[in-house]
Amino acid sequence: MGGMASIQAEFILDRAYSAVVSMDEEGLVTAWNPSAEATFGFKREAALGRPVAELIVPERLRAAHREGLRRFLATGEGRVLDRRLEMQALRADGTEIPIEFTISALRTADTWSFFAFIRDVSERVEADRERERLVEELHVALRGSERRFEAIVGSLGDAITIRDREHRFLYANPAAVAHLGFGSWEELRDTSPDTIMQEFTVSDEHGQEIRMEDIPSVRILRGEEAEPLLIRTVNRVSGVQRWNLLKAAPLLDEDGQVEATITIIEDVTEPKRAEQRGAFLAQASAVLASSLDYEQTLRNVAQLAVPEVADWCAVDLVDDDGDRNSVAVAHVDPARLSLAEELRAYEPDRLDPDQGLGLVFRTGESLLYPEIPESLLVDAAVDERHLELIRAVGLRSGLVVPMKLGKRTLGALTLVSSESGRTLDQSDVELAEQVAARAAVAIENSRLYSQRSSIARTLQQSLLPDRLPEIPGYEIASVYLPAMEGSLVGGDFYDVWPLGDEWMVIIGDVTGKGVEAAALTALVRHTMRTASEFLPSPADLLAQVDRTLKHRPALSVCTALCLRLRDDQVTLAVGGHPLPLYLTGGQVTKLGEHGPLLGAFTEAAWHDVTVELEPGSTLVAYTDGITDAVDKGHGRFGLERLYDALRDARGPQAAKVVECLTGALAEFQSGANADDTAAIVLHRLARAEARENSAARRENGRPTDDLLAGARHGQTD
Amino acid sequence: MVRPTEFKIAHRVTDAGVTLKVTGELDLSTAPVLGESIGALRRDVKAVTVDLSELTFMDSTGLRLLIELDHRAKQEEWELALIRPRYETAAAVLKATGADSALPFEDAPEP
Repeated sequence: MGGMASIQAEFILDRAYSAVVSMDEEGLVTAWNPSAEATFGFKREAALGRPVAELIVPERLRAAHREGLRRFLATGEGRVLDRRLEMQALRADGTEIPIEFTISALRTADTWSFFAFIRDVSERVEADRERERLVEELHVALRGSERRFEAIVGSLGDAITIRDREHRFLYANPAAVAHLGFGSWEELRDTSPDTIMQEFTVSDEHGQEIRMEDIPSVRILRGEEAEPLLIRTVNRVSGVQRWNLLKAAPLLDEDGQVEATITIIEDVTEPKRAEQRGAFLAQASAVLASSLDYEQTLRNVAQLAVPEVADWCAVDLVDDDGDRNSVAVAHVDPARLSLAEELRAYEPDRLDPDQGLGLVFRTGESLLYPEIPESLLVDAAVDERHLELIRAVGLRSGLVVPMKLGKRTLGALTLVSSESGRTLDQSDVELAEQVAARAAVAIENSRLYSQRSSIARTLQQSLLPDRLPEIPGYEIASVYLPAMEGSLVGGDFYDVWPLGDEWMVIIGDVTGKGVEAAALTALVRHTMRTASEFLPSPADLLAQVDRTLKHRPALSVCTALCLRLRDDQVTLAVGGHPLPLYLTGGQVTKLGEHGPLLGAFTEAAWHDVTVELEPGSTLVAYTDGITDAVDKGHGRFGLERLYDALRDARGPQAAKVVECLTGALAEFQSGANADDTAAIVLHRLARAEARENSAARRENGRPTDDLLAGARHGQTD
Repeated sequence: MVRPTEFKIAHRVTDAGVTLKVTGELDLSTAPVLGESIGALRRDVKAVTVDLSELTFMDSTGLRLLIELDHRAKQEEWELALIRPRYETAAAVLKATGADSALPFEDAPEP
């Protein structure tokens, strides 16, 4: 190399980024640029004239190097020429570096020169290695996080599923696999979502069916917000009922599109059941306490369990002979009750003491039939029609719990699940037992109460006069409408008795309860009758009763209206009682003045008011059972209606007024009256009427004087 | 027959005692409920106000309950205060029976 070209070549070589090494046909170094110095660590001076093989070719490759050179020189075949190659090269310090190089052969005169352009690719290789290492590490890390994901999600009690846009399962943790009733993830993955949905009946809290499109994950796919959804699932095959809270969230892809949805299925069966039970039992207690009516209580018991606990509920009582007495049946669908009625006809009077109801009555222990097999139905059936009926009911699962009071079994509750398809379990037995315990108490209470209230009622009514005496110049009529059966209110009372040529008329209301109230009524009447012999003033009479009542140890309160009748004059005093009404010439007015309730207040005083009763007028004394009467719309009968009724009376005669009054009341309250209702009506005969009356009596052969004497006698002995 | 009425008892507890505000009709079916509410109060409650200002009806059962409360309060030494009903339909029975002046009634504050 010389001349201009040589200088240029040297200039280039000195500055080339690549290492440039040339060698001759002997394989000896003829050029070695500064980059080569830097790459291999040999100075130019040290390298020139030495064999390339010894300088930079690792020992294991030298034979191949020499053979390649020999073959080229001999045949012209150069496998490595003009190609980018990579190999390991030796450095002065004995280390190896990766290099990338090309070799070109140049023939000048009759000899070959070889040029190698070499780059140290340590960094790149190192970078590649690092990347590979990182990728490996990443894989390891990913596998780790996958394991951690599995470890966390897989061990969660809550079921977690991830579904793609077609609702196919991409992932389900073991809890979800088990929850959906599958043995393995693979099994679940290979089953279509619709098939899975069909295995359950799914409803919301209110029993409304939940469809696929209501599920939160499906709503999210539609781009809607999805609130957590509480659902009740009943497995169609196993009948197992579960409550689940579904919470779903979207998984977004890089473009923010919903790629999949993740759903957490929280099993809230236990808390939900506990909550339902609490609410149910509270309701049960309230319903059972709401009526003291025996029959109604039993109907309430049956209604209670449906549909909360089961689809059917029957209440049976044990009679004294140990026989059953069916008292109530309730069904989710009232239309199907006729089925139950028909079934009942097949039931034997004598129960088998070793099964079902008979066994429960005998042992006082609950029975649970989680599954009712067909064979049991066939065995139980008396004939074909019976079996048909039993099948129509669709018995799925059932339980019988005793209603016990202490050791005594009053009866039993039979609960059957049919339509809903759910199976009853031990926790249903426990719930039913709690209802049964409350029912037993309610039944016993109403039983005792109906006995007690009928005693009280009888007593109360026995205190009313059988027949009112006849008062000369007056016509008298009364009405007494006892409060409906089961009412705890005390009694209204009235009485009429003669005092010389005067007459006492009283009416009152004892606001106590049961037998106590009856006793109080007797006391008040007795006190009035006795005291009236020496206390002519009605006001003094009331004061005497007030004192008597206050002497009693327990609070004893009553209202009373006391009238003393002498010819056409009436003197009256009122103790906490509605003022009597006076009907004359089509006008209704109140008589007397209000005075305090008897037995109630420490300082109390009553005043007499005396008025003259016009011939043909009518006086109506009544208890608040009339004005307080309620209709279906919860309106009160009130004073206005009472006034109207009196004005509308077809005549002022006592009997007609009473008739009109009871008619208006019956029309108004359309049913039994809640409170005792009483009225006593005095009609002062006009002269013409009086003559007619005595004529009528004489015709009947019952002279007035005899009758009066008899009445007097009857009331005072 | 339990007749459903618009009946409500609201409790308000202050340092001074307990106030029960009764709304609706105090009658056969609801008086026992008020009785139970008062019966259920803690034994250390020293002052009970029964606010009847929003009462729309009262029968003899309701009246008897108030009298019973008054007796109990005196025996058990706690303070009973009653707020008069605004409605004449409820107030009438109190006036007619003397309960209005005999029981510890106070006027309802102006609404």
